[in-house]
Amino acid sequence: MNAGNKKSLEPILSAHGIVNRFGNQLVHDKLDLDIRQGEILGIAGGSGSGKSVLLKTLTGLHRPNSGKVLLNGKPIASLGSNEKAEQIGVLFQRGALFSSLSVAQNVMLPMREHTDLPVEAQEKLAAVKLELAGMPADSAAKFPSELSGGMVKRAALARALALDPRILFLDEPTSDLDSLTASGIDELIVQLNKGLGVTVVIVTHDLNTLFGICDRVAMLVDRRITVDTVDKLKRSDEPWIHDLLHSPRAQGALHARKPGHGIG
Amino acid sequence: MPRASTTPPSSILAIHGDGNQMALEGVLDVRSLDQAHSALGQWLTQRKDRVLDLRKLSGLDTPGAMFLCELRDRHVELTGISAEHEQLLDLVCGLGRKELVKPKAVPGWREFIIRIGRGADAFGRDTYDVIAFVGKSLNALLRSLFHPSLWRPAAISRQITETGVNALPIVGVMAIMISFVIGYQGLVQLRPFGGQDYTINLVAVSILREMGVLITAIMVAGRSGSAFAAELGVMKTREEIDALEVMGLGPMELLVVPRLVAIIITLPLLTFFADVMGLVGGAILSQVELHISPLPFLDRVRLAVDTSDLFVGVVKAPIFAFFIGAVGCMHGLRVRGSAESVGRETTRAVVKAIFLVIIFDALFSILFERLGI
Repeated sequence: MNAGNKKSLEPILSAHGIVNRFGNQLVHDKLDLDIRQGEILGIAGGSGSGKSVLLKTLTGLHRPNSGKVLLNGKPIASLGSNEKAEQIGVLFQRGALFSSLSVAQNVMLPMREHTDLPVEAQEKLAAVKLELAGMPADSAAKFPSELSGGMVKRAALARALALDPRILFLDEPTSDLDSLTASGIDELIVQLNKGLGVTVVIVTHDLNTLFGICDRVAMLVDRRITVDTVDKLKRSDEPWIHDLLHSPRAQGALHARKPGHGIG
Repeated sequence: MPRASTTPPSSILAIHGDGNQMALEGVLDVRSLDQAHSALGQWLTQRKDRVLDLRKLSGLDTPGAMFLCELRDRHVELTGISAEHEQLLDLVCGLGRKELVKPKAVPGWREFIIRIGRGADAFGRDTYDVIAFVGKSLNALLRSLFHPSLWRPAAISRQITETGVNALPIVGVMAIMISFVIGYQGLVQLRPFGGQDYTINLVAVSILREMGVLITAIMVAGRSGSAFAAELGVMKTREEIDALEVMGLGPMELLVVPRLVAIIITLPLLTFFADVMGLVGGAILSQVELHISPLPFLDRVRLAVDTSDLFVGVVKAPIFAFFIGAVGCMHGLRVRGSAESVGRETTRAVVKAIFLVIIFDALFSILFERLGI
């Protein structure tokens, strides 16, 4: 556990008995998941295992066929848009930056809609968020089409942080990035988790992210979820988890892992 | 935690103390920031050696932390900071906290002149692009014509269904409606002179010579010109066009020519269909308003128009079709990068196609007048 970062066992967000079905295809079958206050939780699973649907369900974008999602004990469907925006930040896979707005305007959009801050204060705050996300100062006036892949993710992260959410969902934050940029993003996530105390949920394929920075990992296998630390998951006899964690790539990622992380 | 998250976010902030000592109690966040600003503003300017006690501060977010960092910069001593708040403060105070870089503002009149210049430049380039692309597609079209191996009957037939057959209902309805519009205008103007029967001549001549082909061309430009631009544009964004080129397959031969051939075949046919439907509209109108039944109506039409009127209308169709198709494909292939660009190019394709159709229609009118047709 990281010093000074209180990770309580109390769940900030919990999902109970989630069932998602598309036509005849059952994606999630009575799935349960508790996300603890202040932790970094990785969600992994094979292609088509329903990671994206789970993320949409947890953020309230998708209503499950049955089951409920509770944010701080309240059903997420009952939250007002204002409350939800202040509690949840989402980094979408391709950034989802609004192409007609500059980077700074993208970050300021949620502030404009949900706070009474004067414009100057919004601009100051946007500059801080962009800097927190590691964006160079001159990028604020740029438009999303002028940004590189890594910069798009950072700008989108700054926007996700705009309202100081309590829980941050990251959908494939390191995909399509070179490994150097990807480790930069990983470091950034840890820094934000520690500094802002924000709970982070990462949906990812990136084994380096899973092993390197996640306190716990949720494996989506067979329409259910298994949550544990990487070290305990390695002893799992579930074939898919075993194969994944003992693959050559996993060995490489485990070697690269920094000591002190992932043991929660 | 910066903000107590199990309880609903409350923003109750109490500020007390006097002299050089002040204390914050409660939550310092976006909502209570104003309060803190106004309460501490005077204190900041009047006193020296100020101390702000934060022992009872229960919540802090980034705007609050920014405010505390500013206080620190102004030599206020912050005491009693909890470990969690200290981390947030360290993170935020450690940043440069620079001003947001804004694009340089340009004065309105210069902006206006810059726009005119840009517009003229874009117009020049556009004209060049259209001429170049028309040349390229004519070249590809003729080359395919003489090389049967380049014919793509399946693609052409699919495009004929898309651009032609599927457009029949809308074109038919439009033609009937337009003949009503013309007919009623004529009726109102001609009735005072007792010449309301000449409405039939008016409808027949204007539908066959002008309106039939014009309405059809505009409809097809909206339906198919936009579809060409969007289809090719999406292929471009997904790098499918690049994939074709790498495989040694020219997008001109494979994608543009079948579309052009299809639209050049279908637009004259659609025009003829629109002419027929326009006359049907005229027949309905004369039955209802003039009490002339369809057979005598046809007799009147035969007296009013001859083959050259039909010819004048239909002969324009392939030329309109070529420009609609070429402009649509050109804009589709001009898409760069994002999906946003697909929408922009599609709009431009339709606007430009309709513009060209009307320009050429005007030129044809002058030409036919000179030729005396």
